[in-house]
Amino acid sequence: MTEANAAIGIPATSASAAKPKRAGSALISRLIAGGCILLAWEVIVRMFAPAYVAKPSNIVMVIPKVMTDPLFWNSTAQTLGAVAQGLILALIFGTIIGLLLGRSVTMERMLRHYVNGFYAVPMIVILPLVTLWFGYTGAARLATIVFAAVFSIIINVSDGARAVPREYLEVAASFRSSKLRMYIEIVLPAATPYFLAGLRLAAGRALIGAVVAEFFAAIGGLGHFILYNSRTFHHAEAFVGVLLLAGFGVGFEVLVNWSTKRFLPWYRRDDRGT
Amino acid sequence: MTKHERPAGGAPVSKDSARIRVNGLGKHYGTLEVFRNVSFDVGEREIVAIVGPSGCGKTTLLRCIDGLLPVDEGEIWFDQQRVTSPLPGVAMVFQHFGLFPWKTVYDNVAYGLRMAGAPQAEIDKRVPEFVKLVGLAGFEKAYPYQISGGMQQRCGLARALAVEPSVLLMDEPFAAVDAQTREILQFELLRIWEQRPTAMIFVTHSIEEAVLLGHRVIVLKGRPSGIYETIKIELPHPRTRATLREPRFAELRERVWGTLMAEAQKAEFELEKP
Repeated sequence: MTEANAAIGIPATSASAAKPKRAGSALISRLIAGGCILLAWEVIVRMFAPAYVAKPSNIVMVIPKVMTDPLFWNSTAQTLGAVAQGLILALIFGTIIGLLLGRSVTMERMLRHYVNGFYAVPMIVILPLVTLWFGYTGAARLATIVFAAVFSIIINVSDGARAVPREYLEVAASFRSSKLRMYIEIVLPAATPYFLAGLRLAAGRALIGAVVAEFFAAIGGLGHFILYNSRTFHHAEAFVGVLLLAGFGVGFEVLVNWSTKRFLPWYRRDDRGT
Repeated sequence: MTKHERPAGGAPVSKDSARIRVNGLGKHYGTLEVFRNVSFDVGEREIVAIVGPSGCGKTTLLRCIDGLLPVDEGEIWFDQQRVTSPLPGVAMVFQHFGLFPWKTVYDNVAYGLRMAGAPQAEIDKRVPEFVKLVGLAGFEKAYPYQISGGMQQRCGLARALAVEPSVLLMDEPFAAVDAQTREILQFELLRIWEQRPTAMIFVTHSIEEAVLLGHRVIVLKGRPSGIYETIKIELPHPRTRATLREPRFAELRERVWGTLMAEAQKAEFELEKP
């Protein structure tokens, strides 16, 4: 007990000693939970479902086959590439619009409701529109991804820009900062934690956007791979794709957390605002 | 240093040693009048302390002098310039420190210089000098959350000093640190001021602090507040810990206390009358 309490107070030495233990026990509980889910799945499918329904043992068996299939890698690369492009576009536009929305009352009045409205619209409804504009092409998928991702970034960045402590802006004004430098050096870094929260949401939504576009516009990619395999009763193969998508979600979360620690050492949830 | 030694050539008639002139200043927020008819001068190498009960508008007055807030009546002059927005040559130290948590001590100290458009070579030369002056050498790479409140305010002081201002505005700078640290910082400030004398306006609610630091103490009070009295503090320089033991110090402290409390006591007796 006392050791654990001491570790909270003194970050440098004791925390690093306590960390591997905590991380290790987290991993163990995670593995136990995962094992239970897989076991239940396997048992239920074996007892009640027809043979073509995928079960964990089947999925493990087909992994080598899927891994050597160039179509699988091609599809994965397509989807990930589109998601990356879409996220970058969403980040650039979302950040700029978010900053303006957060710091300018006029912009806020003009755009707030539209942004919230579009954020709430299920992304699938724009598919007929973008396929009309771009045809059944990668561009339609890209547009869907941007549409899916950009609003969560706008909303979070604008909240962050609005929440910049007045003290910071006062200091900037007192030292005669120009408006532009105030945005770049004060508002943007102060809004970074919000920005990261937006990015997490946006990444998930971008992935959904990509798969939805691939499902309904038949543009290839991982979504199409999953759909095609399901329809041809290759359920185990389809599930490899599903698991990969889940893996991206986890991987992105890990990446964001790691880069927060690495690049924003000052940002700690417990003692913000001083 | 040399900057402060030149004679004040061309300064307005009769008040040629005044760096800051405040003339008939008035300020209100809507129907609430904060202060009215405030006039005083601050010499080139003079520390003027402003005391007053909380809510009397000391901080608002200081923000007006920095050009952060517009005034409703009267005017403020800094040398020959009328103050309507923050001017170069005037720097402020804030009660809330106003350090940027995403910047290291070094970058926080460099902030004012960067905003003033100083070339990198000058920043590289000056920042270490001022970091050392305030006693933070060795902490250049620390983030604000890693250092104590006293050290954070040392950093805030270095940021203000680094632009080599001829006027320092101190907004209750030591109000947020503990009593011991506060005392240490008061003498640090005196030491630094002896090395680099400037005009200084020091707002505080501590009578002792005002008498220790000020060449003059201005007592603000009333609603709306105004200058109730200006008390000259004839204590020898440099002021040190020994100053605190002088009988004259105790007398002056009592005098300021008496001035500040007279009205409060009067009000109290009035309440007790039937």
